[in-house]
Amino acid sequence: MTPHALLAEQDDATLMLRVRDDDCEAFAVLVKRHQKMLLNFFARSGVQYDYEDLVQQTFLRLYRYRDRYVATAKFTTFLFLLARQVWIDELRRRKRHERLVAGLSAEPKPEYIDPVAADASASGEMDLKRALDVLPEGLRNVVELGVYQDLPYAEVSKILGIPLGTVKSRMFNALAKMRAFLEEK
Amino acid sequence: MNFQAHMDELTLADAAAFRALAGRLRAMPEREPSEGLTDRILAAVDAERNRKRPRFRAPSPWWGIAAAAALVAAAFLFYAEGPSRGVLVATASDPASGLTWLAANQETDGTWSPSKHGGAEVYRPALTALSALALDRDGRSESAARVDRACAALVAMQGADGTFGGSGRACLYNHAITAFALATLYPRHPALRPTLERSLAFVAARQTAQGGWDYEPGSEGNAAITAWQVRALACAEAQGFDAAKTPLRKGLRWLRDSARDDGSIAYHRDSSAHSDGLTALAAYALITAGKDFPGLSELGRHVAGSLREAPDASATADCYRDYAKVLAFESAGASARAEAVRRQMQAYQKAAQPDQWGSVGGKLYTAAFAVLSAR
Repeated sequence: MTPHALLAEQDDATLMLRVRDDDCEAFAVLVKRHQKMLLNFFARSGVQYDYEDLVQQTFLRLYRYRDRYVATAKFTTFLFLLARQVWIDELRRRKRHERLVAGLSAEPKPEYIDPVAADASASGEMDLKRALDVLPEGLRNVVELGVYQDLPYAEVSKILGIPLGTVKSRMFNALAKMRAFLEEK
Repeated sequence: MNFQAHMDELTLADAAAFRALAGRLRAMPEREPSEGLTDRILAAVDAERNRKRPRFRAPSPWWGIAAAAALVAAAFLFYAEGPSRGVLVATASDPASGLTWLAANQETDGTWSPSKHGGAEVYRPALTALSALALDRDGRSESAARVDRACAALVAMQGADGTFGGSGRACLYNHAITAFALATLYPRHPALRPTLERSLAFVAARQTAQGGWDYEPGSEGNAAITAWQVRALACAEAQGFDAAKTPLRKGLRWLRDSARDDGSIAYHRDSSAHSDGLTALAAYALITAGKDFPGLSELGRHVAGSLREAPDASATADCYRDYAKVLAFESAGASARAEAVRRQMQAYQKAAQPDQWGSVGGKLYTAAFAVLSAR
């Protein structure tokens, strides 16, 4: 078995400990293992065309903050904490950009064609995507982490910095809103 | 507790409906990472690792003096040593004289020699590329033949790493302008393809994690070189070079995030200095290269709108700045403002004012930029 294959069998926490010692191969395994999960996290958060940039920024932060990771914490919790901070920074930049652009021109903006959304439309899932899109940020985050990532609510609570009870109420409200949206359709 | 346990606490009807909804959400198609994503992430981390610097240990007044001197030097280094007096050979309203002068001064090997015309020899690749671009605007066959020879010379200059000569910042400067020229000339010179591909590979390799480019490691990018690289990438992408797509998107993002509320763009993001030339160059790149991205063209017009036609009374002739302003105003649909800049260029030339960057490109700079600024 090659050294790379051996690394690929190790769990996230072990790999992170190796990354702390500047093991590039271990970092590469973590990137390959989690990049798709992060990509879809950002894509479902409402990023249009630059979600791969945000994935890259998240891994860069992971590298910068590797010393802060302690093996007692679940790796995905640590990674989502970083991803959420990247997303918050992106939202700030986006708001600043929208404020700059607002009212600058009446010229219609070209529509971005999202290939996955187009697939969703073809398979009749567009309404479901819209139902998710109309959720406020706070509710959508809970669905992302609790449903898509199937994280324990205690982890969701840590990542979002909200009490466990709030995770439960937000989850209920999010699903109820989506259900109502879909029933109206 | 997780989602399933939470559902067990709800009424049967709610739990069934929410479980079905969650099942549908999980069944929605997911995006796949692009083929090169892992490599890009690892390259960005590698660059981060290489940026490590020794710890700052002993504060000393000399550090402050050295930093101040470095800042002053950096402000001028993009164009080298500063103003020099140059004889002007073309005006934006009379490009023919510039074309004639450029044609008469091409070397037998197809290049143009900056040192013969008041510029710095180290920038021969960039000035050959700019001169070729200027001659390419001329429809005559003899000019086309000269552009062919210039292209052959640029191909011959390229090294194995995709660059065109010079070291340090001169290497990056030469490469940025030459890559743009190659991408522009490619449709009429398809033999440039392998040269352009190697050049694009170098562009992608030198992009910072933040999406910009700079001369030295340790910076997230500077507006001057980033704007040129974005122009080169947009041109290449429009001609079907897929390798340009991702670096272009990231470069545009860097320019977008560098625009300040008043529309200006500085050399470095954290700089408080204002530069009309860089603001104009970035505006043009955002308007033209960003046309397929929501909001970027509008932002580019906002950036262009922050520029004045006339520079400060104390400003000196600056063909680079005025060329960029003409491009910015024309692309923003403000032709009257572009025309005012052309008149200003002409006034500088009539007054034989020394150009701000004469020591970089000498008469080659003024001739090429005048032709490229013409209507």
